[in-house]
Amino acid sequence: MHAEKRVTDSGKIMREKLFLEDIDEITEHDEAAIGMLRKRIMFALVLVFFLFFVIISRFWYLQINKGDEYQGLAETNRVRIRSVPPPRGHILDRHGREIVTNRPSFNVVMIREDSFDIDDVLKRLSVVLNEDVELLWERIREAAGTPHHIPIILKEDIDWETLAHLENNKFKFSGIRIEVRPVRTFHYGDLAANAIGYVGSINRKQLEEDELGVYEGGDLIGKRGLERLREKDLRGEKGSSSSEVDARGFEQQELINVDPLPGNDIRLTIDIDLQRVAEQFMEIGEKAGAVVALEVNTGRVLVAASTPTINLEAFIGGISQKNWDALLQNSRHPLISKVVQGTYPTGSVYKIVTALAGLAEGVIDLNTIFYCPGHYYFGNRIYRCWKHSGHGQVDILRAITESCDVFFYQVGLRVGVDKLAEYARKLGLGQVSGIEMEHEKSGLTPTKAWKRKRYNEKWHEGETLSVAIGQGFNIMTPLQIALMTSVVANGGKLYKPQLIESVTTADGQVVEKFTPELVSQLSARDLAHLGTIQEGLLGVVHGKRGTARKVKIKGLTVAGKTGTAQVVRIAQYKGLKEQDIPYKYRDHAWFTCYAPADNPQIAVTVLVEHGLHGGSAAGPIARVVLKKYFEDYLRKQAEMAELEKTGSRG
Amino acid sequence: MIRFDRRLLASFDWALLLLLLMICGMALFNLYSASYPPHPYGTPPYLKQLYFFLIGFALVLFILGFDYQELHFWNYFIYGFVICLLVAILIIGRTAGGATRWINLGLFNLQPSELAKLMLVISLASYYSRKEVTDGYTIRQLVVPIMLTAVPFLLIMLQPDLGTALMLGFIFMSMTIFVKLRLSVYAILGSSAVGAVIFAWEKLLKPYQKQRVQTFLNPETDPMGHGYQIMQSKIAVGSGGKFGKGYLEGTQGHLHFLPERHTDFAFAVWSEEWGFFGSLFFIGMYFFMLFWGLYTAMFARDRFGMLLSFGVVMLIFWQAVINLMMILGFLPVVGIPLPLVSYGGSSLLTTMMALGILLNVRMRRFQTGQAVD
Repeated sequence: MHAEKRVTDSGKIMREKLFLEDIDEITEHDEAAIGMLRKRIMFALVLVFFLFFVIISRFWYLQINKGDEYQGLAETNRVRIRSVPPPRGHILDRHGREIVTNRPSFNVVMIREDSFDIDDVLKRLSVVLNEDVELLWERIREAAGTPHHIPIILKEDIDWETLAHLENNKFKFSGIRIEVRPVRTFHYGDLAANAIGYVGSINRKQLEEDELGVYEGGDLIGKRGLERLREKDLRGEKGSSSSEVDARGFEQQELINVDPLPGNDIRLTIDIDLQRVAEQFMEIGEKAGAVVALEVNTGRVLVAASTPTINLEAFIGGISQKNWDALLQNSRHPLISKVVQGTYPTGSVYKIVTALAGLAEGVIDLNTIFYCPGHYYFGNRIYRCWKHSGHGQVDILRAITESCDVFFYQVGLRVGVDKLAEYARKLGLGQVSGIEMEHEKSGLTPTKAWKRKRYNEKWHEGETLSVAIGQGFNIMTPLQIALMTSVVANGGKLYKPQLIESVTTADGQVVEKFTPELVSQLSARDLAHLGTIQEGLLGVVHGKRGTARKVKIKGLTVAGKTGTAQVVRIAQYKGLKEQDIPYKYRDHAWFTCYAPADNPQIAVTVLVEHGLHGGSAAGPIARVVLKKYFEDYLRKQAEMAELEKTGSRG
Repeated sequence: MIRFDRRLLASFDWALLLLLLMICGMALFNLYSASYPPHPYGTPPYLKQLYFFLIGFALVLFILGFDYQELHFWNYFIYGFVICLLVAILIIGRTAGGATRWINLGLFNLQPSELAKLMLVISLASYYSRKEVTDGYTIRQLVVPIMLTAVPFLLIMLQPDLGTALMLGFIFMSMTIFVKLRLSVYAILGSSAVGAVIFAWEKLLKPYQKQRVQTFLNPETDPMGHGYQIMQSKIAVGSGGKFGKGYLEGTQGHLHFLPERHTDFAFAVWSEEWGFFGSLFFIGMYFFMLFWGLYTAMFARDRFGMLLSFGVVMLIFWQAVINLMMILGFLPVVGIPLPLVSYGGSSLLTTMMALGILLNVRMRRFQTGQAVD
């Protein structure tokens, strides 16, 4: 065969020799075969020619014979396909109450191509819409360069009266159409606003990232909170509608409709009633801060409140620059979701960590007693107890109940800062929890290695004292403190906090369902000491000298811990009365608790920024949340019992 | 070793290269209009296509460096490689929970089914030139080529990509009839093809594919679906009239009436804007390119060269005919691109490689014969 004889060498002699062999082997048989193929190529040529001839004839027929007819068709070809935005999925609370749903917004749009006299139409429209003509023109100019059949929004969300007027006088406004678009409506005002978030027009960057071509300019997309994190669930699928438009720009008939597919509904773990109580009571004193409530045995988030809240209505149709600036400049930072983004020194709440570390590491036991004269000398410095007169002889239970600083200074010193950090992490502090909320902060549990790396400085033992009572480098988020409280309450289990109970499609199919996720568990050695801490925490509320006696609720045992976290240590404010200290230098107030103490169900953590005292500023808010929860809880149990009774009777 | 012979340059086919450059140039020019007004973000299609053209051109030069005879050897690797890609895509597609035709290579998405077309041409040409039969192939001698076709055919059907799978069938048929069969084999192949069509209709076709065929046979059933596409395409072509509406002036394309205007219906945009004479000119060039390919096949140095060039011409020819017929409302919408004209990197690269092989065969037509003279 030829293939094996191909020339691989450049030597001319070699090649000629091969060619001679070639000639020898070119037989009549080969000639015949090649000839046959050539004949067939001629056939193929005829076939190609024929089919191309058919194609050209068809072009002739369409373009020359029927050209005029098709030109006419093209000019009146006004069948347009428009996409119909899908209704976004609803957001419900844990009992199925609608928090965020949709309502129609009627927008006035112009299709330039269909309008005869844009100037004239806009003039008349400006009267109806009560808008400046120049402003309407501005909107048209902004869209310069886009195809003329693309609608331009002239005004969003017009009222019924204007709508009726426009519809009745349609013929006066060629090229003007009313477009219906679903927008968000909030049934519970701004409750849980930071967790839920809002939607807004898609921006350039998001359009660039949209590789699948799901979005087009002007579409709404989740911008913040769950609206953003769960965009894929909530957005649904676009439908399309086609309408025939006559030569004067009026719609003749809808030709076909592919209905949009609504987004999936999201049911939150949040109890909106409980959330409302928490936010209302925070707002009463214009308190900035956070309230978190968790189901201790599952990790469900019942309340995630951050105050002051943001006004979600203001974001519909895009927030004005003025409102946005006001939000940014507000000294109480409404745009920060304080539940996970606010990091604060924890104050005495942290003593739970110090106590557990001390007991589990064996540096103290139930019988260890330290003397508190109201201060503690260490390395030429005085470290004060909050109670300047001193607590006297203190054991671990009293130390927790009365929050004795001097006791915990000494426990901290004996345990060491690295061990404290280790126990803090076991209780869920100093790390992100993975909750579905944006930009969660990890907080900080300082260690010697950390300080060397961060500041290139040695750790001073004096700093351990600050850490032991929750000051110093320690900073935590309210959610982390709530997690720590749940771990203490539920017997050592750290659950991942979750916000979503279930996700269901519009026709009721469940696509996602809540299941508790256990992150870690305390070791048996640590667990052995949990009871002591629980007892101490119970004393905080129910003990004679507890720091949170005000929280007591009739018929309910509550275990908790107060915290008052210094923001700055400035001598000039020392002598001042509390009211005279500038707001931003006042202490943060913490209270964290769980109930019922003997069979824990719920953990509640309250942080009031610059609220001064944990017991008096934060405690009462936790109290109303607990009260509401158990009222509902008991009522529901009673109802269930009733139901069962009638059920068995029937 | 690559050894460049001065005589190779002398016998280089400048005409075909010129045709290729002209067609690609006009196609890019058209693509700019077909994707106009440009999407504000990202690389516009015509620019992407230009990059692919440059890569394709580099591939052509690369292919010219080797004697096409070496394809006898490389054929096995090419075949194995493409089959692996086709299998890989099914696995990726399955894990992604839907039909996937592309493999993401980071810079662009490779569509292996496009490569499969050229791969089939090479392996059939190699087989038929090595197994030479003068009095027609028997059915037993066709077992290997049938298997060579069936494997990629089924893999592509599974994607599912009906259009491309059918193209493989067309290539097989063209090349097999070309090398001559026994009369009885025609009967067997013919009847089994009919059987396969019936089987495919009953068992293999997805509902949307069936609907396309039904729509074509009876357009009133679906005025807004595929019937709509064909109708709009016909309006686009027809309204072009004698001389067209002018560049960038086509209303059908720019007002979004025309679907897939930069891919499958790209030529409809050309026809609308350049009219009958513009279309005639473009199709004339296209015909001349195919004619030149057949001419190359006729005077190739050996049977392999003939079969390769013939296969390459058929590969381009059938796609062009089906695509143009679809635009003109003769055939249902099947999703077959117009080679060199429709937007799509994998298709452009495959077509350019195919033309590179054609240039290669033409360039080396005298390599053994010359010395004898």
